[in-house]
Amino acid sequence: MADEDPRISPVFDLVLRAGASETPKSLASNEVLLHVVHDVGGQPDVPLDLTEHKEAPWETRTHATCECLCWRGHWSSEERRRGENDMGQTLYAGIPYYGRWILVAAKHLLDTGRITPDELSAKIEEVRARYAAQATEVTP
Amino acid sequence: MRRFKVGDRVTVLDKPTLFHTRTQSYCRGRTGVIVALRPDDWVIPEDEAWGRVDGRRLPCYMIRFQQGDLWPDYRGPATDTVELEIFENWLEPAKEAAQ
Repeated sequence: MADEDPRISPVFDLVLRAGASETPKSLASNEVLLHVVHDVGGQPDVPLDLTEHKEAPWETRTHATCECLCWRGHWSSEERRRGENDMGQTLYAGIPYYGRWILVAAKHLLDTGRITPDELSAKIEEVRARYAAQATEVTP
Repeated sequence: MRRFKVGDRVTVLDKPTLFHTRTQSYCRGRTGVIVALRPDDWVIPEDEAWGRVDGRRLPCYMIRFQQGDLWPDYRGPATDTVELEIFENWLEPAKEAAQ
């Protein structure tokens, strides 16, 4: 860009140019920055899978957990949706619907200091070990 | 105090958005008609998304758009519509000349 303003960070400069059409569409272009990830209406996509999805137990538990966090005043659904956008396009598109919910819930609890990363890791290990033990029980 | 009423034609503002919004990009700059008023005022998503539960409260409207006004190559019936919920800070009186 020939007319870069050294007083303004390149990223913010792109934002200021919102609507200016001369900026090429690239990873750092204003179009990418200004397009909110969950706003997919009219975007190109692969053909949709229209088969009925039966929710797995972890999915209903995830939904209930997130709703309880709202009910207890820890966050709102809108904060969750914003957190999903914060994951960025690659993770957003690559992780299942309720996978985004539970990851953002975990991140929010870490961000607000309600849990610590090592507590979360320990819990994951504990659950893994429990499931592994159950699996060996049913397999003779 | 509501700025608009049912039957008003309104144009969605085409504002820059960073990080989060609930106003779909495909409706920005487009004109529709208000078909319903959502009861009460609500904390706008721009505040609620950052945990500002006591944030700015504004009226929310249900707005009906003609599909043909949203998609330049729309091939469905001319009677096809879509209804979107839009907060008042995203609306201005219709720019009929733009249509």
